[in-house]
Amino acid sequence: MADPFILEDGSHIAVVGGGPTGSFFSIFALRMAKMINKNLRVTIYEPKDFSKDGPLGCNRCGGIISELLVQALAVEGINLSDRIVQRGIDSYKLHTDHGTVSIDTPTHEKRIAAVYRGGGPKGTMGQEKESFDGFLLNLARQEGALHVPLKIDHIEYRNSKPVLLSREGDVQEADLVVGAIGVKSQTSKLFEHMRFGYRRPETVTAAIAEIGFDRDILSERFGASVHLFLLPLKEIKFAAMIPKGTYVTICILGKNMNVRSVNEFLDHPAVAAVLPASVPYKIGCRCLPQMNVRAPGVPFTDRVVMCGDAGSTRLFKDGLGAAYLMGKAAAKTAVFHGVSADHFRREYLPVYRSIVNDNRYGKILFQATDLFKKYKTLTRGMLKVISREQEDQYRSKRLSSVLWDMFTGNERYKNIFFRTLNFPLQHDLLCEITKEFIAGKA
Amino acid sequence: MREDELGRMYSEGEQIFGEGQEGDRMYVIQAGRVKITKKSRTGDMTIAVLESGDIFGEMALFDKLPRSATATAMGNTRVLTIDKDKLFQTISRDPTLAFRIISSMSSRIRRLDDELIQVKKNKLNICTDLDETCEYILEEAKNVIPAENGSIMLLDEDGETLSVRAAFGKEWNPKIKLRVGEGVAGDVLKTGKAELINSVSQDARFKSGSAKISSMLCVPLKWKTSIGTLNMSNSSNKLFTLEDLKMLRSLAMYASIAIQNAKSCAQLKSTTEEMIMHVSLLDVS
Repeated sequence: MADPFILEDGSHIAVVGGGPTGSFFSIFALRMAKMINKNLRVTIYEPKDFSKDGPLGCNRCGGIISELLVQALAVEGINLSDRIVQRGIDSYKLHTDHGTVSIDTPTHEKRIAAVYRGGGPKGTMGQEKESFDGFLLNLARQEGALHVPLKIDHIEYRNSKPVLLSREGDVQEADLVVGAIGVKSQTSKLFEHMRFGYRRPETVTAAIAEIGFDRDILSERFGASVHLFLLPLKEIKFAAMIPKGTYVTICILGKNMNVRSVNEFLDHPAVAAVLPASVPYKIGCRCLPQMNVRAPGVPFTDRVVMCGDAGSTRLFKDGLGAAYLMGKAAAKTAVFHGVSADHFRREYLPVYRSIVNDNRYGKILFQATDLFKKYKTLTRGMLKVISREQEDQYRSKRLSSVLWDMFTGNERYKNIFFRTLNFPLQHDLLCEITKEFIAGKA
Repeated sequence: MREDELGRMYSEGEQIFGEGQEGDRMYVIQAGRVKITKKSRTGDMTIAVLESGDIFGEMALFDKLPRSATATAMGNTRVLTIDKDKLFQTISRDPTLAFRIISSMSSRIRRLDDELIQVKKNKLNICTDLDETCEYILEEAKNVIPAENGSIMLLDEDGETLSVRAAFGKEWNPKIKLRVGEGVAGDVLKTGKAELINSVSQDARFKSGSAKISSMLCVPLKWKTSIGTLNMSNSSNKLFTLEDLKMLRSLAMYASIAIQNAKSCAQLKSTTEEMIMHVSLLDVS
């Protein structure tokens, strides 16, 4: 007898959530199915309209597409046009209490994209720009997915197949349900109620705000750089200012941010120094989104798989990169292998776990960063090494590339971690820190 | 370059990479067009014009050889580079990422196959079309022996008259027809012996007409029996040498084979066509 868990011609996949994870899954599942002449039906359930500005269309995120993801997407044939890119980024500026250094892309090429996940802050509509989430959802539709702007309220098994129900009374049976639902507690319940052991991931609250500027002032002040802040503030791990069209997105990551966090951050002298002093700015909008910091243990069962933020994502960084990886890994499993728990355990779990395991190294790296920003001597030593590396074009950029890869999400944390153990890097750092220490004592 | 664009901008004519250079990256066109050219004996040859979304430079990543061609921007062109190390790392984790590179390479191989068949077809045409074959032979003869005029005359189907199938130079009459044994060419056809005549005006066989010829080479084209002649002549005082005659005789040997092939091909074609016509007529009745 044929394996009932292998998708056949006409099999139906229901994707709950039309953010990047849901769209990536749909795009790749449909492309791969076409390669092996399989005709799948994919329905994406997403009530949100990403073309709307303000909170209605927004998916609450910094909106950075890493160098690695921009390149991977280009190879996949998904090119980010100027309609989607708000600003191309070619450098990071690292600000601390004790000075600022600039780290450039190795090729001096704009390979990082700043985008809006929705239509942008209220009032930014009509700039002939498209949201990243909307763009991907459109691509999924072009590949053949059906987008239904419906909220799914309940999922249950009937005759061993999942059935999706909405209050509007629509009932849809599926051969596979993909949970690409993010971290919202309300939607997580849909899958928690299915009792296969799924629990909403552990989260922390981040703070995001949009500050509006005149376009020219913004370009002059921020250029094509993301501004990164490592400040000795206890609650804040790190914060970033991401320049876009006429807004700068401020992302503050740490433990349990609240409504005051943005103002406290903006008042800090190192931050105030970056903002134009004489020009008033206005906070366009702010939100306190939840960030996944620990992945749930059971991300699948027969005919159900959880992807993206609802599953495992990269710690503090590159959520879109993780959405691409997980969405594609789930698609690959479903199309080329099958949709039973066993198939997902064999094919999908290793990718899922690799992200979870990698975050362990990420945690150590962020703890080390905490130390460096806490102690003046360490901060200054680090800045000295970086500025020496950046000034001398022939000097090997060991520390710069470690920080670049860590904050741009360009490399796995594990690889970065092992690069920090490099002897010449440790030697350079130790020398500068000792010099700082002696200078401080004198 | 605008603030909301990714990659690097190249202006019209700017080289992205050159043939023979080492390559450690691949490129994806974001906007504009890129011309791929290859050096040849006759100058740079354009082998492809690529558009937005196309991949190029991927060959050097896989075969580790120097760049096989030059890539140049056509107008303002924006290009994104893909690092080799990062690409291979990602492919090792997710081999499906290579699908698109493979499909782009396979569509290029397909296009090359089509072009190759076209080239082969062109060559084949020379062999199947009698007049083209004659022209080709004459072109070759001109390269080997410097002469002011030249022609190939072949026996008509009646086996009695020679007529011109291809010629070059000023002094030849396309309408001239010679019977076997008539004129120099007719005589050469009859005797089957090649001749070098450096004083044409004193040769009794020469049918002058309006042509002003002072010296000539005439060699028979033979396939079992004589089928025609290959003639080269000068109107000026330039003379031919014995060496020229030998050379033309060797060429005539190969030329005869080519002409016979072309004739057989044409015959086969017309027989086949005739057969098809018969069959379809039968079908109708």
